[in-house]
Amino acid sequence: MIKFITKRILIAIPTLLIIIAFSFSMMRVAPGGPFTNERALPPEIEKNINAAYNLDKPVYEQFYIYMKNITRGDFGPSFKYKDFSVKELILNGLPVSVTLGLSAIIISLFLGSLLGIIAAINRNTIFDYSVMGVSLVGICVPSFVMAPLLSLFFSLYMGILPTSGWNNGNILNLILPITALSLPQIAIISRMMRASTIEVLNSNFIRTAKSKGLNESYIIRKHVIRASILPIVEYLAPASAGLMTGSIIIEQIFGLPGIGRYFVVGALQRDYTLVSGVLILYASLLILLILITDIVRAILDPRVKI
Amino acid sequence: MQLTQKNIKNNNLLININKLNVFFNTPEGLLHVVKDVNFNVKKGTCLGVVGESGSGKTQTFFSITGLLAKNGYAEGEANFKNYNLITCDDKIRRGFLGKSIGFIFQDPMTSLTPHLKIGDQLAEIAIYHKKITKSEALQRAAEVMDVVKLPNNRDIINSYPHELSGGMKQRVMIAISLMCEPDLIIADEPTTALDVTTQAEILSIFNDLKNNLNIGLVLISHNIGVIAETSNQVLVMKNGQILENGNTHEVLTKPKNDYTKHLLSCIPPWIKN
Repeated sequence: MIKFITKRILIAIPTLLIIIAFSFSMMRVAPGGPFTNERALPPEIEKNINAAYNLDKPVYEQFYIYMKNITRGDFGPSFKYKDFSVKELILNGLPVSVTLGLSAIIISLFLGSLLGIIAAINRNTIFDYSVMGVSLVGICVPSFVMAPLLSLFFSLYMGILPTSGWNNGNILNLILPITALSLPQIAIISRMMRASTIEVLNSNFIRTAKSKGLNESYIIRKHVIRASILPIVEYLAPASAGLMTGSIIIEQIFGLPGIGRYFVVGALQRDYTLVSGVLILYASLLILLILITDIVRAILDPRVKI
Repeated sequence: MQLTQKNIKNNNLLININKLNVFFNTPEGLLHVVKDVNFNVKKGTCLGVVGESGSGKTQTFFSITGLLAKNGYAEGEANFKNYNLITCDDKIRRGFLGKSIGFIFQDPMTSLTPHLKIGDQLAEIAIYHKKITKSEALQRAAEVMDVVKLPNNRDIINSYPHELSGGMKQRVMIAISLMCEPDLIIADEPTTALDVTTQAEILSIFNDLKNNLNIGLVLISHNIGVIAETSNQVLVMKNGQILENGNTHEVLTKPKNDYTKHLLSCIPPWIKN
């Protein structure tokens, strides 16, 4: 186990290096730069700014400086959010995004698998059809429609929840954004869980369990769930990496200071260091989550050796 | 080996099947797969059931044990210990299943839960039906593993199904069916997925169960050789009907039905004896 984890962390280092190099060069290849405006800057000023941010040096030298700083934990200054370093921006926004994302993924894992299992057991009944129908709506309705509808109903009509704001993580402020984030995930997970549970229920070893005279709830608990949750575990790594690094749509609609917007805004504004910073964060999170997934999978399924 | 010898006279009736019919609802309409089947199984004997694929031999026994697919249903009588297993409450049937009736399936490779240890899969059936503790159940598991000739049973109890060979898995399946000292064991093509050597070993275990433990055995197979070796009585099935029902020796030497003759003619003459 320890050998496996060490190995995976060692593999993660070159992976991250490649990702950083790739994002670094892609940003440089993209036309324009952080200080390109409709009105051109006076040449002297542009020269000074470029010198201040090392943009006058050759690209390989810029890369060298950038990598040297990263090893010291310095992701450089943001080119667009003046007076902030990339590290500060991420550290301020990350707790918000992680709180929302983690809550959403835990809720959707729990509710989604529960609904999926119940639908699978009662398949082709009214319960199954209604869960699957509602979840189809959940997948099809995009979050930029769902989120305003939620605010409209719960904040404006019923007046029980605030429309927006972080408010230092007050639970009332979190309910709507977490709901908006969870709904599509609950929908996806419940459909996946239903499909995999039906497959397991039709398998030979469940027939064996039935021939032992065991009752249905025991069979579900002991024989079905551990096998049917495996595809969900696989799905969770990329899904939770996506949720924990924030969603620009949800954060904008509910006015939350998360890091989701930096992915989009950073790239559009050619904020080189910010884009690299959030990308490194996302990639490391994904690598970590996939590592956890592999460990959980080996625990659930003894045929998987790690 | 401490299996309690049940003190019941030989030739005692164990299960009586009377006018059993099995139907399946399919999109193409109602499918009648088992038609008015009657037979008996006695203690300490083996009933061989032969027939080609789709002859209804498996579905006959699935209907008795309530293992039919969701779109299937059965009508008729399967009298076992004063209950009709076809019409009785699900709970009563489940009480018999695993406890008085053991079922062994065709494909041992997929018939064991992959994420549970062999010991747990053996123990759970006894814990469930006999309300004993896990350590008692594991002790019982060690006993039945002796009966099915599983070596090093400590190691096997702590291993997972994928760590065992096909023959060992089938022995585990037989051991599971023996955990609660059943009166009747239904083995649905238990040797089809195994090689010939393992097949012979498994059949000798069945012979032991029948002769030493006085268990009523149903052996479903499409292999007449297997049936000839083990069973006292044989049913020949085709298209959901019983074509011939009688003493194994008589059926195999003096078949009355054309289909049975046809089946027997499929065996190469040098094996026939």
